[in-house]
Amino acid sequence: MNKFKEIVEANRAWLCLDCGKCSSVCSITLNLIEGYTSPRLLVETAVASGEDITLEDPLLWSCLTCQRCSEICPSEVNFSAFVQGARQLAFDQGLSGSCTHSGMIQGWMRMMADPDLEQDRLGWLPDDLAVDQDSDTIYFPGCLPYYDAAFGELGFEGLAIARGAVKILNALGIKPRILENERCCGHDLYWQGDMETFQKLAALNLEIIQATGAKRIVTTCPECAYTLRTTYPEEIGDLGVEIYHLSEFLADQPLLKTSEKSSGLESGKVTYQDPCRLGRFSGVYQQPRDLIASLGYELVEMDHARSTSICCGTSCWSSCGQVNKEIQISRLEEASSTGAGLLVTSCLKCQIHLKCAQKIPGGGDSSQMPIRDLTTLVAERI
Amino acid sequence: MSKVKTRQKVILFTCSWHAYSSLEAVARERISCSTAVVPIRLSCLGRISPGIILKAFEGGAAGVLLLGCPEGQCRYQTGNLEARKVVEETRSLLLLLGYDENRLEYQLLPAENGEKYLEVLNQFLERVQNGRKKS
Ligand code: SF4
Ligand code: SF4
Repeated sequence: MNKFKEIVEANRAWLCLDCGKCSSVCSITLNLIEGYTSPRLLVETAVASGEDITLEDPLLWSCLTCQRCSEICPSEVNFSAFVQGARQLAFDQGLSGSCTHSGMIQGWMRMMADPDLEQDRLGWLPDDLAVDQDSDTIYFPGCLPYYDAAFGELGFEGLAIARGAVKILNALGIKPRILENERCCGHDLYWQGDMETFQKLAALNLEIIQATGAKRIVTTCPECAYTLRTTYPEEIGDLGVEIYHLSEFLADQPLLKTSEKSSGLESGKVTYQDPCRLGRFSGVYQQPRDLIASLGYELVEMDHARSTSICCGTSCWSSCGQVNKEIQISRLEEASSTGAGLLVTSCLKCQIHLKCAQKIPGGGDSSQMPIRDLTTLVAERI
Repeated sequence: MSKVKTRQKVILFTCSWHAYSSLEAVARERISCSTAVVPIRLSCLGRISPGIILKAFEGGAAGVLLLGCPEGQCRYQTGNLEARKVVEETRSLLLLLGYDENRLEYQLLPAENGEKYLEVLNQFLERVQNGRKKS
């Protein structure tokens, strides 16, 4: 039996066979440089051909799992989950997408699955920020210390995001607990199909987090938030704590006292990139926008915003090539054409990927556009 | 953190030029080396990347040693300098992971110098063994 057929069934993807509606919005399909593939065609291949041919379909490896297709799907097909399931099958056969950055990121993630690991990951915490290792609120920076070390050259804000988050929590009277040995949440390995390592990481985090007795986790990474909140209960178990992305958490808190506008932006106009895992996957659209407004900025939306937002172009650190760069460059141009002087996002990976695309020579105005995380934008006003 | 165990291997990356010729000089003289060392020859040390080094540690390496040509003598001009940058970046990742940074080292070697090669290699092996205390 063709195992792909089971995955097709589990995600209702047979309905794609006589549809194809989402081919008109899929970023990969729209930006293909050569050949043609689409969500519908991938399903057709999976159903009609053998596994071998399905494994050769470029969309299986390049799909961003951005969920843009599901947003307009008339038949409730969970296409991203279909792709994840198919990658699991492929991974079990020793296949995976081509890892970007020489596999460095998957490298540190897999090394974190070692139960005996004792990381030295809190060096970023300055003395003037207050933390309390008995607090019932955990701040979960995720792999930020690692990304900071790896992508500093891009002008990525890195650990300034983590410091900003603690500063904001402190301003609310919260001294968060920060885990000395938290592991990568496993998001990227999960979406690459590496279930074995994902489960090891998740089990370690489950043990570490439950041992704290904390009530809530606040994170600045949409992928950590989604994975801890939704994927862990599905795959390994409920953490038994509330999980928030910082922008959601702040929406429930008394309004932060922020200082006068010091944006240095001539127009005061900003635009906002919805991260896939925060927007389409978690339905958090309004809270980041309210925060931007609370800082006195005028938010000018891109043509594709909220549920129609376009992914930053690369996911789970795999398959980054010309198609991805096309997606990123056109997204930057869309941001720049709003007339905003600043592109705000609330995902460290959106920032890394878009800043990387800005380094491509000949990018024009959009390659000059400053990109900031919502966290540091709020923190600098406190 | 991950303790170095006796049977763990040391991965040695060399370029194909100065460093490798020193390794060959040792081989020609039939001097025996530690069996823990696994040499991997690259065309140029500039070919190394953080992902490859982490892969070695992920696979259980006790240490990773990179040997390249002396400064100004890289056959491809800047490969040895590129490698230095990669080592610095990877060291900062290893430190976060709680590894003793001395488990990754970068050295430049003259050509055809077996003695120097052995000296560098043995010193590294010793440091890696001593590094066991911390990591
Ligand atoms: S995912 Fe939905 S919209 Fe896309 S081809 Fe399948 S059924 Fe049609
Ligand atoms: S999840 Fe995104 S990239 Fe993948 S098929 Fe759907 S629209 Fe295309």
